[in-house]
Amino acid sequence: MRTKFLFQSYWLGALLSSQLVAFLSAPTACAQDEAPQYTAEQLKFFEAKIRPILVEQCYSCHSAEGQGTRGGLGVDTREALLAGGESGPAIVPGKLEESLLWNAINYEDFRMPPRKQLPPQMIADIKQWIEMGAPDPRSGHVAPISSQVTDEDIEKGRKFWSFQPPTESEIPEVKELKSWCKNEIDRFVAAKLESENLKPVADTEATKLLRRLYFDLTGLPPSPADIADFVKAYEEAEDAAVANVVDRLLDSPQYGERWARHWLDVARYAESTGKEVDQTFPFAWRYRDYVIDSFQRDKPYNKFIQEQIAGDLMPAKTDEIWQEQLVATGFLALGPKALIEQNPRQFQADLIDEQIDTVTRVVMGVSVACARCHDHKFDPIRQTDYYALAGIFGSTETFYGGFRSQRNRQPSGLLALPLADKASPFKAIPPAELAQLKEQVKELEVEVAQARRQQLMPNANPANRPGTNGTNPTNPNSDPRRAFVNAAVLEQQLVAVKARIASVDENGKPLALCMGVQDRDRISNARLLVRGEIDKAAQEVPRGFVALFDAETTKLSSKSSGRLDLAKWMTRETNPLTARVMANRVWQHLIGKPLVAEPDNFGMSGPGTKQQALLDHLAIKFMKDGWSVKKLIRHIATSHVYRLSSNVDQLLFEKDPDNELLARGNRRRLDAESIRDAMLTSSGQIDTKRPNGSLISALGFALVGPNGPVSTIMAAPNTGTPGTGPGMSATGTDPAERFRNVARMMAGGRSNPLAVPVYYRSVYLPIARNLLPRSLAVFDFAEPSMVVPIREISSTADQALYMLNNDFVIQQSEALARRLAKDQSKPAERVRELFMLSFGRPPTAEEVQLSIKFVNDTSDAATGRNRAEKTFAAWCQLCQAIMATAEFRWLD
Amino acid sequence: MISHNLVSRRQILQTASAGFGYLAFAGLAGSANSAYSSDNSSNPLDPKAPHFAPRAKRVIFLCMQGGPSHVDTFDYKPKLAEAEGRGNRGPNSRLMPSPWKFKQSGKSGLWISEVFPEISKMADELCLIRSMHCDQPVHPRAMTQMHTGNAQFVRPSLGAWTLYGLGTENDNLPGFIALNPPPASATNFGSAFLPAVYQGTKVGRPQGRGPGARFAQAGGDQDALPDLRNDVLDSEQQRRQLKFIQSMNRRQLESYKQGNEVDNSGIEGIIESYELAFRMQDKLPEMMDLSNEDEKTLAMYGIGQGDTDGFGRQCLLARRFAEAGVRFIELTHGNWDHHARLRTELPEKCTEIDKPIAGLLKDLKARGLLQDTLVIWGGEFGRTPDAQNGDGRDHNHKGYTTWMAGGGVKGGFSYGATDDLGYEAVENKCHIHDWHATILHLMGLDHKKLTYRYAGRDFRLTDVHGNVLQDILS
Repeated sequence: MRTKFLFQSYWLGALLSSQLVAFLSAPTACAQDEAPQYTAEQLKFFEAKIRPILVEQCYSCHSAEGQGTRGGLGVDTREALLAGGESGPAIVPGKLEESLLWNAINYEDFRMPPRKQLPPQMIADIKQWIEMGAPDPRSGHVAPISSQVTDEDIEKGRKFWSFQPPTESEIPEVKELKSWCKNEIDRFVAAKLESENLKPVADTEATKLLRRLYFDLTGLPPSPADIADFVKAYEEAEDAAVANVVDRLLDSPQYGERWARHWLDVARYAESTGKEVDQTFPFAWRYRDYVIDSFQRDKPYNKFIQEQIAGDLMPAKTDEIWQEQLVATGFLALGPKALIEQNPRQFQADLIDEQIDTVTRVVMGVSVACARCHDHKFDPIRQTDYYALAGIFGSTETFYGGFRSQRNRQPSGLLALPLADKASPFKAIPPAELAQLKEQVKELEVEVAQARRQQLMPNANPANRPGTNGTNPTNPNSDPRRAFVNAAVLEQQLVAVKARIASVDENGKPLALCMGVQDRDRISNARLLVRGEIDKAAQEVPRGFVALFDAETTKLSSKSSGRLDLAKWMTRETNPLTARVMANRVWQHLIGKPLVAEPDNFGMSGPGTKQQALLDHLAIKFMKDGWSVKKLIRHIATSHVYRLSSNVDQLLFEKDPDNELLARGNRRRLDAESIRDAMLTSSGQIDTKRPNGSLISALGFALVGPNGPVSTIMAAPNTGTPGTGPGMSATGTDPAERFRNVARMMAGGRSNPLAVPVYYRSVYLPIARNLLPRSLAVFDFAEPSMVVPIREISSTADQALYMLNNDFVIQQSEALARRLAKDQSKPAERVRELFMLSFGRPPTAEEVQLSIKFVNDTSDAATGRNRAEKTFAAWCQLCQAIMATAEFRWLD
Repeated sequence: MISHNLVSRRQILQTASAGFGYLAFAGLAGSANSAYSSDNSSNPLDPKAPHFAPRAKRVIFLCMQGGPSHVDTFDYKPKLAEAEGRGNRGPNSRLMPSPWKFKQSGKSGLWISEVFPEISKMADELCLIRSMHCDQPVHPRAMTQMHTGNAQFVRPSLGAWTLYGLGTENDNLPGFIALNPPPASATNFGSAFLPAVYQGTKVGRPQGRGPGARFAQAGGDQDALPDLRNDVLDSEQQRRQLKFIQSMNRRQLESYKQGNEVDNSGIEGIIESYELAFRMQDKLPEMMDLSNEDEKTLAMYGIGQGDTDGFGRQCLLARRFAEAGVRFIELTHGNWDHHARLRTELPEKCTEIDKPIAGLLKDLKARGLLQDTLVIWGGEFGRTPDAQNGDGRDHNHKGYTTWMAGGGVKGGFSYGATDDLGYEAVENKCHIHDWHATILHLMGLDHKKLTYRYAGRDFRLTDVHGNVLQDILS
């Protein structure tokens, strides 16, 4: 794995040479669509000498017609040769030494054709051909594709409501409901209700309102003392009481953790690649912490977006700022990746596609990625718009880390950060051990090579010939499948050792690395790909933005990818969508339903909204307030609409079943994180400190997941095991067994020797795409491989089983019972505290009585050596029962 | 506010045109033994009379995620073989004949590709529908339309409608089971505005998602559904605890109702989830335990035979659930999205399901279950006769094949057709709405009468569409 060292002035400087993206237009010779002009003599030479060699010797493995393009290399068109495969250009016209084809036919670093070297005459012909500029009439270029979307369509499209900048309409006049209104939001809502002859429902009770505010702003329940204070203050002055709580909560560190998670849902944040080969991203947590800090400090949203798309290109005055901006670009690097993909051009095209899809949907609420294969079906977005963006992202290199192996065919480097970690999740390696590890790499490389040969020719060694039953009993490797497993295990061990070495510098000091992006040194436009197929390149498309939103047709400099221009363009105030989309998201997380029901589809196929005036008001205020998310939250949370009860009667329900008119509150279920955090808060076990890194970072580069021969999490440099970490030794514990243990721990399983209970907030739990923590997965956690604007809400038997039987839940109820016993001696007081902690309200007399009766009945039959133990067991059961109720997990 | 004359959600359910779907609270907390028994006649999951005599009592839906190529499996296109290279869909269209041979199978002589040697032997049970089409060209939306009829809004799924219409015959198990569902597919098993009790219960974890997938397939391992056992409390203790939980939930429901609340679906769903969970704790481990199946049966499904083991176990579980009276069982088999490398990858996928599905059909038949079990096979769409990325094929929602077998359909029968090359359905076209209408019909439900009133409107699975394919009924 290559680590890219960057310096603060980097953004002005030159780049190291980086891999060429194959479908970018090739240099000068065919920057335009016309084929280069060759002389008749040159073409004759090609036809007579070169074409037969390529067809007979190379096509079967390196052409669209043969068995595909191995190593990503095709030799059947001029463009394919110039673009080359995963190792670089096969031909650089006129430059023998830079042409990998020349290298390969001479059996230098590569050996092609693999079976037998070409005869000297053929090699001489190829030499002559490359030196004369590699004349080649074979073009893979397809005729330019013209769009069905006309300029008139685009002009018409610009008139669509959401594609026009938000307009400030006058705050409406309200009649009867005038005194009901607390701020502008209420006047928009009230005016609409009056026109429909409806009235808002009553306010919710003070205790429910406070619970709402706490969970909405911090994701945690209020303490009994908070409740007492608020109820008193609310009686005295409602508005002041609410405003004070809102301000206090927005200032608390828990706010950042709560609101960052909403962003992580749409940013498809995860700590592994997902897909077939699920390799960890041991440094993804830096992006997670960046998002938390950004919300906490109320970073202007436009700047927040710019940093994530182009932080590496923005000027930075200090190393701290520079570091922060680099980490921010992890946003582009975090997507799911098919590491098993053999063709680097396909991989690159998919990676760019994922970036375009995520950026456009998350920031602008439109999907441009559907234009990869054809014009957008609903919005006037042309296929060329997609490739204009593809040129920007194609001129960008993405760093996500990893090492080449049979399972990971698409590894990449990471970025080295300017500042060392105060506490690195990686341990320093003493020089002697580092040297030893480097020796181990050499040994393992030999072993891997041997195992591979074994796998290919199991019976090559006489010792391995089959015994009577078909396999050799003394050598299990004689079974090819077994040999395959063996090779894969060894290879993962090799990767593990390499990863460990790569985690430190030459002196064994831990490196600070991050995921992110950099501009390539070759900035080039993309070619439109017919039906999105990588071997069907048509016309070149100048890098640029989506025409529908870019009436000026911005021209980008040839000196940079254009990412920074894109980021600034997306976040300028005249962009019709960006502020609206975020305002809609903020509204959704406070009120429970978005104003535009599909928050990532503001386009023509989207549902639109009945509350456009309100949405525009929010968007404009958001921008006027310096894109402050906290101010927007304060605006909404102090409105009267926010305080409405969620009860709905028949009339209102029939008139407005989806609550689009906002005459009432929305009853909501807490999300998975809030449920877990609330259990931890009630039990008093919660650890509000931010953990250092993540459980995933402690695992290093590792494969997660059940598929394939090696299901193993390897290379754990810092699991607390003395000596070399587990997985470091070729003779250590069975890796598959270890995997099962770690996996079970992460899946919330029981009886696990490696289980380290963690009590920090749920936002810090490890998010491996194929192995989500049970506590999150069970309550509809956002699928981390997708942009998830709204989480699903389900009520399943699985959830009930989790609350009834899961170890974590049982542990929390025991801790809660201990807490009650410590705080209160009288049963009735204990019940009161239990209800305050769990529901944010005191129990009714009947509830006290029922609870105590349950404890008494239960303790009679409970297991325990004496009365005290039995009673304690009964209280544990009561605590668990209370946490299992609907009221605990619903927000009225 | 008008406070009298309110109709509660429960009352709506009771009076809705279909006339059932009302949650039984009576005595839940009041009497000790009613909470976990099923003797309450108004349990929404109790078996209900269909609209007319059903041909099938239960469904096993073998859902092939990704869009299996019809022209390489069940839709024989001899003209495509002759037409190599000459596409008629634009300048870049290049036709790719199927790399596999088709042959006639069974007495019926159905043409089936050699990629399914075992399923071919069951040809006389199959009713191929070779004229499928739907409205959605991309996976998630097409998948959602296949399950709910509508890709745009969240609507109840086929399984949920079936359960709503018929109830279930085993109240110790979910009436609608989704075995190893893919990630992010909850909508496709969901109940939307139908009461939550009708949504699918996921059993096992998605394929390829975490070690659970392995455990789930292992049969007999409690990890098929995590947290299925309590190590601290015995059954009696847990029963008491659950009763307390439900009494709290019920009190909350009452308090909502006193507040004139009409939308109680959330809390009803939670109450139902606990009832089912408690019963499942007992029954599910037993159901998942394949150790009492004999060697011959295991072999028939390809269990213990490498590539077929995973789906073989799912198919065997499906038979066990069907036998136990589960109304709707859905299995998923993924990765049929062959944009490239069709030549190597399609046969792998086919091998994984071929023996297990043939085994399932044989086993159901031998046990006399096939006659009233409807087995459905299909993906969200098919694939183009055009090549893509060398030897891949693109999505094709305009024409593809699904099949049914068992309860009420003609065996050894082929219905409808695509054009000569397999691009579009042209003869006896079967839209996904028609397909839904037919499935409900076979279950004894009239798709036009199976409605649910929500927000002032009667909703149907088929919206305002759908025609039953009369020709395929036996």
